[in-house]
Amino acid sequence: MQIKKRVAVVGAGMTKFMRRAQETGKELAFEAVRQALDSCNMRIEDIQSVALGSAPDAFDGVHMKGEYLLDGAGAWGKPYSRSFVGGGTGVFSLIHGWWHVASGLFDTCLVVAEEKMSSCLPHPQTAFLTIFDNMIERPLGPNLIWIFALEMQRYMQTYKIPKEQIAQVAVKNKRNALDHPSAQIAQKVTLQDVLNSEVMAYPVQRLDISPVSDGACAIVLASEDVARKITDSPVWIDGVGWNLDTTYWTNRDLYFPRYVANAARMAYAMAGVRNPRKEIDFAEPYDPFDYKELHHMEGLLLCRKGEAPKLTAEGVTERDGNLPVCPSGGLLGVGNPIAAAGLMKICELFWQLRGEAGKRQIPGDPRTAVAQAWGDLMQIGTVVVMRG
Amino acid sequence: MTTEPIRVEGDFPVYFRYTVGVAGEKFFREIMENGRLMASRCSSCNLNYLPPRIYCERCMSRLEEYVPVENEGTVEAFTITHQDAEGNPLQEPVGVALVRFPGAYGGLVHRTIDVLAIGDRVRAVFKDKKERTGSILDIKFFEKIS
Ligand SMILES: [Zn+2]
Repeated sequence: MQIKKRVAVVGAGMTKFMRRAQETGKELAFEAVRQALDSCNMRIEDIQSVALGSAPDAFDGVHMKGEYLLDGAGAWGKPYSRSFVGGGTGVFSLIHGWWHVASGLFDTCLVVAEEKMSSCLPHPQTAFLTIFDNMIERPLGPNLIWIFALEMQRYMQTYKIPKEQIAQVAVKNKRNALDHPSAQIAQKVTLQDVLNSEVMAYPVQRLDISPVSDGACAIVLASEDVARKITDSPVWIDGVGWNLDTTYWTNRDLYFPRYVANAARMAYAMAGVRNPRKEIDFAEPYDPFDYKELHHMEGLLLCRKGEAPKLTAEGVTERDGNLPVCPSGGLLGVGNPIAAAGLMKICELFWQLRGEAGKRQIPGDPRTAVAQAWGDLMQIGTVVVMRG
Repeated sequence: MTTEPIRVEGDFPVYFRYTVGVAGEKFFREIMENGRLMASRCSSCNLNYLPPRIYCERCMSRLEEYVPVENEGTVEAFTITHQDAEGNPLQEPVGVALVRFPGAYGGLVHRTIDVLAIGDRVRAVFKDKKERTGSILDIKFFEKIS
């Protein structure tokens, strides 16, 4: 593909992530949009197109959720479309918006991601029952955690990973989130707290998992020439990638997300990153479960296969470590309103690369970072490389 | 041996609880407590949103000013339904109309009685105050003003 324009992030906004919002989904979207526009002194008239990301309609309980959210997302009377790749949606929505601008079609694009999961009862994971094969798997009475339990087990077994090293991710991210003003479940927990929490589906325990959340995020994109008029410190989207593995989870390598690696290679090639371990200053991989952060670090080629748990145990991924991972606090600490959680990671890259992350700021002037999300039927990787 | 295709029964076993939102709280509480319709106002665009929203969809300003709307409006379009969604005949035909109100941007689709023509003037008839629950059905129907 020919990229006609270099694309920058020039503004960002997000609501608090919370368990039960009084705001409707539209109202959450508006709050994020208003904040994003204010952050770069832009008016809605300055926005030429709107790219929306939102995960299953069954979360908000509104069919055609993209159309429903239109007015709250600031898309009235504009070219507007929704993308949806399950949990990968948040990061993909940025790629969707990037395309609008990189293609030369629009000079500006507003990217909005929203999820209101508290509407869905008895529990949002019930909405996932039909992702299991209706003939082969569903008669067994599965629940979503089965998939993660099997994957986590396989990963631990393959590389002889002790559960302590995985639990360390939950401890780190929940602690990092204490510095995030929008966080839902920031807390100081100990390794023992995680290891003693109730077993949901062995080896997955309660504190290994991110919460159910409501929230929205918004990002303003501009082409290079326009971005330089809006701000002195644009953050560039230098690489994007996405890739899907087989629909059949029985046919995947449970211990290594090769679709993430494929997506990462695509994004790194576009960004001219040859040695990710050396060139990436920090990362925001998707962490709905603690082991997924580790899985995804390896998929993102930030370390060797099976090495992420050891790096975590050594403190390398702490905010003041050599490779900070999820300095925001991630989904485990900030919360997990699915699509919005992915775009929250883009917000974090933007704030960190501009030196605007406040108490969360990574020391040493980080220049290059990667964000990633994961989803669809657990088989998509969506990756974005950004530079300050 | 049966030649019927093998089938598996399935369902999508979720249900929902929706909040009415920040603007919805204003709207429904005004109906519940005062039997009155309320719009939110964008003074830059000169639009009164009915039902109210916390933002103007045109300029994306935050809307914090609420203004009352008359309970009387005009029929923009109407229909009389004779069957339910499954095609079963209704005991009584039900009138449904889109009603617009003076000075308001938007309108309400609601049940009607006596409506015979587009352009008819209608008025909201509310349930007794003690029976209202914060629902759109706190308005019983719109009746024609003779
Ligand atoms: Zn306005």
